[in-house]
Amino acid sequence: MKKCFTIVLAGNPNCGKTSIFNALTGARQHVGNYPGVTVESKIGRFSLNGTEILLIDLPGIYSLSSSSPEEEVAFRELTKPGVDLILNVVDSTIPRRSLYLTTQLAELHIPMLLAFNMSDDADRKGLKFDLPKLERCFGFPAVRTVGCRSGGIGQLLDALGTALKKTESRTAPALSYGADIDASIGKIANAIAPLAPERFRHIPARFFAVKLLEHDACVRNLPEFRSVHPLVGNEIRHLLEKHAIDTDTFMADRRYAILAGACRNAIGMTGERRREISDKIDAVMTSRYIGLPLFFLIMYATFWLTFTCAEPLMGIIEEVFAALAGGVKMLWPETTLPYLRSLLADGVIGGVGGVLVFLPNILFLFLAIAILEDSGYMARAAFVMDGVMRRFGLQGRSFVPLVLGFGCTVPAIMATRCIESERDRKTTIMVLPLMSCGARLPIYALIIPAFFAAEYQAFVMWLIYLIGVGIALIAARIMKATLFKGDGEIYLMELPPYRMPTLRSLLLHMWDRAGMYVRKAGTIILATSILLFICNTWPEKTAFSKDYDKAAQLVNGNPALSGDARENALSALENEKQAELMEYTISGRIGHALEPLFRPIGFDWKLTTASIGALAAKEVFVSQLGILYAEGEADEDSVPLREQLIRNYTPLQAFCIMLFCLLSIPCFATLAIMRRELNSWKLTAAVAAGMFLLAYLVTFLVYQAGSLCGIGTALAG
Amino acid sequence: MRRKERSAAACGCMRQKICERRSAQREMTLAELPVGTSATILKVMPHWRGRKKFADVGIVPGTELLMEAHAPFGGLMRVRVMETSMALHRDDAAHVMMRRMEAAE
Repeated sequence: MKKCFTIVLAGNPNCGKTSIFNALTGARQHVGNYPGVTVESKIGRFSLNGTEILLIDLPGIYSLSSSSPEEEVAFRELTKPGVDLILNVVDSTIPRRSLYLTTQLAELHIPMLLAFNMSDDADRKGLKFDLPKLERCFGFPAVRTVGCRSGGIGQLLDALGTALKKTESRTAPALSYGADIDASIGKIANAIAPLAPERFRHIPARFFAVKLLEHDACVRNLPEFRSVHPLVGNEIRHLLEKHAIDTDTFMADRRYAILAGACRNAIGMTGERRREISDKIDAVMTSRYIGLPLFFLIMYATFWLTFTCAEPLMGIIEEVFAALAGGVKMLWPETTLPYLRSLLADGVIGGVGGVLVFLPNILFLFLAIAILEDSGYMARAAFVMDGVMRRFGLQGRSFVPLVLGFGCTVPAIMATRCIESERDRKTTIMVLPLMSCGARLPIYALIIPAFFAAEYQAFVMWLIYLIGVGIALIAARIMKATLFKGDGEIYLMELPPYRMPTLRSLLLHMWDRAGMYVRKAGTIILATSILLFICNTWPEKTAFSKDYDKAAQLVNGNPALSGDARENALSALENEKQAELMEYTISGRIGHALEPLFRPIGFDWKLTTASIGALAAKEVFVSQLGILYAEGEADEDSVPLREQLIRNYTPLQAFCIMLFCLLSIPCFATLAIMRRELNSWKLTAAVAAGMFLLAYLVTFLVYQAGSLCGIGTALAG
Repeated sequence: MRRKERSAAACGCMRQKICERRSAQREMTLAELPVGTSATILKVMPHWRGRKKFADVGIVPGTELLMEAHAPFGGLMRVRVMETSMALHRDDAAHVMMRRMEAAE
C-alpha cells in the first residue's frame, strides 16, 4: 500500500462538504487561494490506519462544465495526475440534483466513494435508499453519513480505508447517452486517444470526447486537441441535422434522465414531507415587503454584536499593551541602547497593539457572519438586497462587506469571499476603501469641531461619509463598464434550507479569520511600525535652533513661576524641541520635498508629513500632526492642537484635509489584504495609484474652486 | 402579438391586462410565471449563453418548476427546481419557455 494518498472532496454547494472536511481534518487545514482566481482552496491532512492522507476540498460545483471559475478550478484539480480517490459528497435530501455531478465524475474513471450525506434529514423526509443497488448502478462504493455531527464519521473512515485498498482497479460502467450520440463520442474518442498529453494519460479519451461535444470551454482550449475540432464540429452538425439533437443541453438532459431511472429503482419516497419549516421561514424572510426591513434589523444586530460586545475586551487589550510598553520601559534602563528600547516600546508594541486592539471586533464580526452564513440566511440577504445593489453594478452579496467597511476595511475585504462572481468580488474589494472606515473617524473628530459651527458639525460629518459612499458607487459602476466589462456570469444562486449552525463549524470559522488577522498584524503591521518609527526618529538633530537645556534650566530657576506654570513652560519647550526633531527626520524631509506637489490642494509640509504617516494607519495622521505642531502626543480631543489648527488653516483647507484623508491611498494593512484577496500586485498597485489620483483631483478641484469663490477662505481663528 | 406588447408598454394598465390574459394561456416564459404557480419547462431558448449553466442545475425541458417569490425591487426571483430553491434573474428567466399543467382560472 502507498504511504501517502491524495483524496479530492467534490460535491454541490451546500451539500455539507465542508463539515465532512472539518470532521476529517480538524484544525489541520490550510486555507489559501488558487493561483490567478479568487476561489478559495482548502487542503487538509489526516491519517488513516497509519497512512497519511492529503485531502483537497474543491469549491462547491453543480457540474464539471467550466461555466464558472469554481468549475474551472475543480476541473483542473480533478484532472491532475496523482488523485487516488474522489470522495463525492451527495446531499441525500436532493439525490437527483446531487448525483448529476456524480455522473460526470464517474467518466473520469478515477476511483470514487459516494458519501450520502445528511442521511438523517433524508430519513425524516421519508427517502429510502437502496445503497447496494446504487453501488451497482454507478459502479462505486457508497456510504451513509450524517455530516453536521462528526459522530457518524467512523463509518466514512472505514469505507475510505476499504476504497483506498482497491485504488488499482480503475473501471466504471460507461454511461450510455443513446446509440447516435455514443457513436459520435466513440469517433471523437478514437481521434483524440493518440493526442492526449502525458498529464492526461490516466483520464479516458471518452471523457474529453464528451466534453468537446458539450462545447466545454476548458477542454476546447487545450491546444493538444485542436486538431480534432473540425471533426467535433462535423459531429455536432450531424447530430443536429440528422437527429435534431442539440448537444449543448442534450447531455445534461440525458444525464438527468439516466438519474431519474436510477433513482426510481434505488430511492423510495414514503410520504412527501418537504422542507416545510424552511419554506415557512422563507415566506417571511424573503417577502417582498418585510424582507428588506428584516434584513436591516439583522444587520443592526450584527453591528451591535461587533461593536458593543467587543468594547470591554478591546479596553482590556489596550491596557495590556500599555502595561507591556510601560513594563519594557521600566525594566530597560534608558541609558543602554536607547534607540532599541524606544523602538521596542513605542514602535513595535505600540504599532502591533494598535492593530490587535481590533481583534475582539474581528472575532465577534466573524462569529456573526458565520452564524448568518451557516444558517443559510446570507443567501436570503443577498436575494433581498440584489435589486438595490444591481443599480450600482454590484450584487446583493456585496452589501454586507460594504457596510462592514464603515468599521474596518480589512475584515470587510475578508468578508467579500461570500461573493461568488469573480468580477463582482473584485469590484467590491476595489471600491471598499472608499467607505469611510473607523480609523478615519479621529481625523474628522479632530477637525470638524475646530472649524465648523456646532449646528453644521453633524452635517459635515454626514457629507464626508456620503461623498465616500457616492464615489464608491459611481466607481463601481464605472469599473463594471470598463475594467470588468462584458456580460457577467449568469446569476444562479441556491437558497439552501435553513440549518442550525454547529458550534464546531462556527468556532473553526472564527479561528480561521482571527488567525489570518493576527498573522497580518505580526508581519505587515510590524514591518510598517518599525519603518515609520525609523522615519520619525532618524536622522536625529543635534544642533538645535536654541539651547533647550539652557532654556529649561532658566525656567526651572525662575522663582516667579508657580508649580503649574513651570510645568507648562517646560512641556512647551519639550514639545517645541520635538517638533524641531521631527522636521529634521526622514518623514519631515519627505514632507518638505513633497510640499510643492501638495500646495495646490491646500497642504503645507506638516499636513504632507502627516499624510505619509497615515499610510500606516489612518488615525496616525492625528498623532503625527500633534507632534509636528509641538503639542506632544495628541488625540482627537486635544484642544491645544485644535487651536493651532484654527490659527494656521482655513475651513476650506480643513475640509480638504478630510476629503483627502477619506479618498487617498488606504492604509498598508488594507493594501496587504487587498493583494491577498485580489491575488494580484498589479490591481493592488492600480487601486493605490487610482485612489491617490482621485483624492488629489477631487481635493484640488474643491480647493481651487473654493479659493476662487472665496468660500471658507478666511482664517477661522 | 408584438404590436400589442409595444402599445401595452406605453400604457401601464393595458400591460397589466395583457399579462393577465397571457398567464391564463398555457404557454409563457418563466419570467411571467405568477408567484405560487408551477409549470413544466417546454424549452430553453437555443443559442442563449446561459442554457448550459441552467441545464446543469436541472432546468431542462420536462422539469417542473414552482415560482416561489419575487425579490423586492424587481430583479431576482426564487424558483423551486428539483426540491431546491434557486434565485435567478428575471432577464435570464425570460429565456425559458414554460407550459402550465392546467389552464389557470
